[in-house]
Amino acid sequence: MQALLSFENAPPFAAPLRFFLTAPLFAVLAGLLLAWNGPQLMASRWMPGALAATHLVTVGFMLQVMLGALIQILPVVAGANLRHPLRVARIVHVGLSGGGLLLAGGFLTAPSGMLGVAALLLGATLLYFLAVCIQALAGVPSTSPTIRGLKLALVGLAAVVGLGMAMAFALTYGWSVPLTALADLHAGWGLGGWAGVLLVAMAYVVVPMFQLTPGYPARPSWWFPVAMLILLLLWSGGVLGNLGGLVQLSQGLAAVVGIAFCVLTLRLQGKRRRARADVTYRYWQLGLVAGVLALLMLLISSLWPAASELDGWTIGFGILIVAGGFMPFITGMLYKISSFLSWLHLQNFGQAKIPAPAMNKILTDTDCQRQMVAYVAALALLLAAVIVPDWLARPAGLAFALANAWLFWNLASAVRRYRRAQAEMAEKLAAL
Amino acid sequence: MSHPKTPHVVDARYMEPPGPFVATMEMLDTLKDGEKMLLLLFREPHPLYKVLRQNGHDYETELMPDGTFEILISR
Repeated sequence: MQALLSFENAPPFAAPLRFFLTAPLFAVLAGLLLAWNGPQLMASRWMPGALAATHLVTVGFMLQVMLGALIQILPVVAGANLRHPLRVARIVHVGLSGGGLLLAGGFLTAPSGMLGVAALLLGATLLYFLAVCIQALAGVPSTSPTIRGLKLALVGLAAVVGLGMAMAFALTYGWSVPLTALADLHAGWGLGGWAGVLLVAMAYVVVPMFQLTPGYPARPSWWFPVAMLILLLLWSGGVLGNLGGLVQLSQGLAAVVGIAFCVLTLRLQGKRRRARADVTYRYWQLGLVAGVLALLMLLISSLWPAASELDGWTIGFGILIVAGGFMPFITGMLYKISSFLSWLHLQNFGQAKIPAPAMNKILTDTDCQRQMVAYVAALALLLAAVIVPDWLARPAGLAFALANAWLFWNLASAVRRYRRAQAEMAEKLAAL
Repeated sequence: MSHPKTPHVVDARYMEPPGPFVATMEMLDTLKDGEKMLLLLFREPHPLYKVLRQNGHDYETELMPDGTFEILISR
């Protein structure tokens, strides 16, 4: 019954797996781009290489895993069933992967038409994804902070995509727009309104479930996503109305909300009942600590705007929040979800006659922990490269590429073991 | 463990999946008609809801201030 239960709601393994295996390859490309471009990539956030590398990670890695995971878990965390999940996965995966590559190419070859094509492809893909999710969530009441958070995260996704498309067309056709303010707002909606709110909504479920911590208290859980959305709307109003003070105030308060969530999660983790610290727990600890540090930087720059003019400040903030915060959260979950799904699908395949191999036989914690050591070293090099780019930018790029290639290897090995186990179980079932 | 809502309680708040589902189905099997059981979890179990509906069980969910979802299930 248990396998039947979990399975009835589960899309085919192929649906999320394509996203999970593709994502690390985009991060490898970002690392190789840094190794190739060297210190000039870190000279400014506006360098073509910096824009390309940032979007290889945010679109190619982060968004890739987040959309793949959503296709998988919407039925489980919200009771919302996507129609034809495999078809949705195929369309979104192709659009997102192609769009991500074109976007990076567009930044590197600007001014060219490639940026506009990338914007159109990504815009159409994400509009389709949003439509599918809205259809699935229509009529699902917000009975938990997770469901409310999911719905608000989709608002954030629509905003970041809209702003991104507007800027891509502005760059392509030379429209006169306040690019710096719009780019900050685009990043705010992307990292705060979409990725941040989605992370918070998912954390309410996965942190207690997989790390055996107490639950998130109800009142702040309801408010975190709402507060973030309100602050981003105020920030947007500040940009539209050219009200610098309102922009600074909303940025600072958004940083405080983010810090409060990270600190609360660290406190819950401190009360966990699982004695052993597995790789997911360690990756989350890294993400939470780096997230607090990055958000403190945002808070400082909102109180003292001249800070963002300091050498390396903006690049350092970007590395800390994306490579230090979001990527570790995502990688930690990627390991947990991949091994859990492998086990779940094998369990179903065994038809309650042949037991599935344990999760740690599919993906061993030792392999994952070793990869994490490589990732932490790469992150340290990236942060150090902000200070001494001439010496460290290229080694940091190579280290980042290597750590993510290792992630790909670990996930691909898990898929190989999954297929082998499935073949062995098929033989045993045939012999019964 | 007992609770003001019912003496039949599964506290699954610190159980890993699929523990909460298995424990709930086992307790449901032991209940007599008209009896109710309470499942405590730190999340809403949507897949379990679906099975409960398919098997004709009613349930009511309440989110408590500490983040516990109390799910009262009728036999």
